[in-house]
Amino acid sequence: MKNNFTVSAAPHLHNKESTAKIMWAVVLSLVPSGIAGVWIFGRGALWVIILGVAAAVITEGVLQLLTKRKLTIFDGSAILTGLLLAYNLPPKVPFWLPIIGSFFAIAIGKQVFGGLGQNIFNPALVGRVFLVASWPKYMTTFTQALNYDALTSATPLAALREGKILENISYLDLFLGKRGGCIGEVCILALLLGAIFLLIRGYISWHIPVTYIATVGIFTYIFGAKALFSGDWLFHILSGGLILGAFFMATDYVTSPLTYKGQIIFAIGCGVLTAVIRLWGGYPEGVSYAILMMNAATPIIDRHTKHRIYGTK
Amino acid sequence: MKKYFAEFTKGIIKENPTFVLALGLCPTLAVSVSLSNGIGMGIAATFVLLGSNIIIAMLKDFIPDRIRIPCFIVVIATFVTITEMMMKAYSPALDRALGIYVPLIVVNCIVLGRAEAYAQKSSVLNSFFDGLGMGAGFTLALLLISGIREFLGAGKIFGHTVFKAFEPAFVLGMPSGALLVIGLLLGFFNLLKHRKT
Amino acid sequence: MNAAQLLTIFISAVFLYNVILSRFLGLCSFIAISKETRPALAMSLSVMFVTTMASIITWAIYKFLLIPFGLTYLRTISFILVIATFVQLVEMIIRKIAPALYRFFGIYLPLITVNCAVLGVAVLNSDMFFVKGKAVPGSFIYSVFQGICVGLGYTLAMLLMSGIRERLDLCDVPESVKEFPLAFIIASIMSLSFMGFNGFRF
Repeated sequence: MKNNFTVSAAPHLHNKESTAKIMWAVVLSLVPSGIAGVWIFGRGALWVIILGVAAAVITEGVLQLLTKRKLTIFDGSAILTGLLLAYNLPPKVPFWLPIIGSFFAIAIGKQVFGGLGQNIFNPALVGRVFLVASWPKYMTTFTQALNYDALTSATPLAALREGKILENISYLDLFLGKRGGCIGEVCILALLLGAIFLLIRGYISWHIPVTYIATVGIFTYIFGAKALFSGDWLFHILSGGLILGAFFMATDYVTSPLTYKGQIIFAIGCGVLTAVIRLWGGYPEGVSYAILMMNAATPIIDRHTKHRIYGTK
Repeated sequence: MKKYFAEFTKGIIKENPTFVLALGLCPTLAVSVSLSNGIGMGIAATFVLLGSNIIIAMLKDFIPDRIRIPCFIVVIATFVTITEMMMKAYSPALDRALGIYVPLIVVNCIVLGRAEAYAQKSSVLNSFFDGLGMGAGFTLALLLISGIREFLGAGKIFGHTVFKAFEPAFVLGMPSGALLVIGLLLGFFNLLKHRKT
Repeated sequence: MNAAQLLTIFISAVFLYNVILSRFLGLCSFIAISKETRPALAMSLSVMFVTTMASIITWAIYKFLLIPFGLTYLRTISFILVIATFVQLVEMIIRKIAPALYRFFGIYLPLITVNCAVLGVAVLNSDMFFVKGKAVPGSFIYSVFQGICVGLGYTLAMLLMSGIRERLDLCDVPESVKEFPLAFIIASIMSLSFMGFNGFRF
């Protein structure tokens, strides 16, 4: 959001219309990645996306009806959550996985806090880590790109973890998405198209994504190999869910700090945690955990980076 | 007789130590991974609770007020040590499963809480039934939580698989799942309470 | 004693097996006191102080008293008595020397006696760093360090939680989950996110 005319820090009173506009814009910006994902992984991926989105919308609708709260299913936020959750799933998962994931994401990640604007954690990521902890087998089995049936358990990051450099993967392959991974995370090109759209229109600012990605790059460059200062930082930036996470999930207004200074701290924290988990933790990918941990720290970051309220000491 | 029965039942529902008084949550969450662990801990804690309630009620006139807490702790710790030794001797598997949470019964808020709030000012017989009721309430709460966690988190009941095709959600066997289950249960009981009024 | 072991203790105690979010020790105080940041900070610092000192004292008792005289079955009683006495002593000293500090801590100091985290870390130390009745080399440093890290882990969880709950105070949360249920659900999500450090190996 452009900061030219903002006199004080949020929370401002939201115009319901503009919240919806932002949500739908983000949904739109994610469409290229979805198309790429379906093209790379096959029709099964499309079903995952459809089920994820549908389950999210239905869950939100039912919960809001039951608790007699205003229906917000048309403001695009539930759809966005369902979409992001689906993008964080491997392509060949049982049909009930995205359904349960979306249900959990909306019910526990969002509605229990009182709905949009009040959740502390990114709902899609809450759903994702819930699924990873509950059904690890399904969440770590991937299909190879453009080979709709071959099942493996290797993504480039996982292979790196086991010390095998994937022979035939080039940076271009990583960039275009010719690799195993989650549906919406593999095609960097498509993701960047959407991200540039959001940046140009001012829906997100560059602070969080650029800082986040740069931190991961620097950290993995320094520590990413046996000898210092020789890590393959480009590989790390193009692998896993970093681009998806940095541009579309770490930037979520509700769960990230309000001021630019706070956002930079937030992004550095995300970057360090992601890199540490990738390099020394047991999981090959750390983006979801890093972002959630920094979500938890956001209230404290906000408190200590507040703008001076005009007119007070 | 009716009075004693009321003492007993209050610990089960109206003043359930876990869901109403929110006491003793540390071991509740930690051991409720399986029903057998839950029952084991429930019985152990009830034994300690009964023992300490009775002794403290018997000695209440002899314990100086200023040092009453350390005195209670000595009494409780004695019973916990007895429990520890019996468990190590007769059910070492349970002892291993419950781990550090057996000695931690010493600082279990339920035991110390009932000593402080009840046993030191009531008759031995009342304290006995109070201890029994609280222990039963605690055990029932453990059974409820363990049952949910074992069934949904491991697909088993008392170690036996229920449905072959059911894919359990492993997270429920983890600390995060424990916190989730108790959060949702507390919310659910709150909802029931609000509906009633 | 090596650095990798120390780093592992740090990551375990603070993140992976966080004393509150994973071992559930100190949960009562966590839920009760994490509503606001100032009391949360006060409680955390006192807990960290007590866990560190308790680690030192109980280590000495275990090594020089209980093991040589074959009294390890008295571990629970002796540990808890020592802890209770120590907390009482600290309370009396603070009251004498720094009355303002005493008022700041309020009732939290005596509450630490029954904080599972303190007895918990003492028992953990004796379980982890003594094998078959003999102290592992470096067990003293490890025990003290674990005491400090458990305190740090407690502080981290308390600070994060109090920040979150203070913010949620301004929000319109569903009636039935207000206070405790929501606190547990938040703790559940925090616990999930800390699981990212599973399998940490330096």
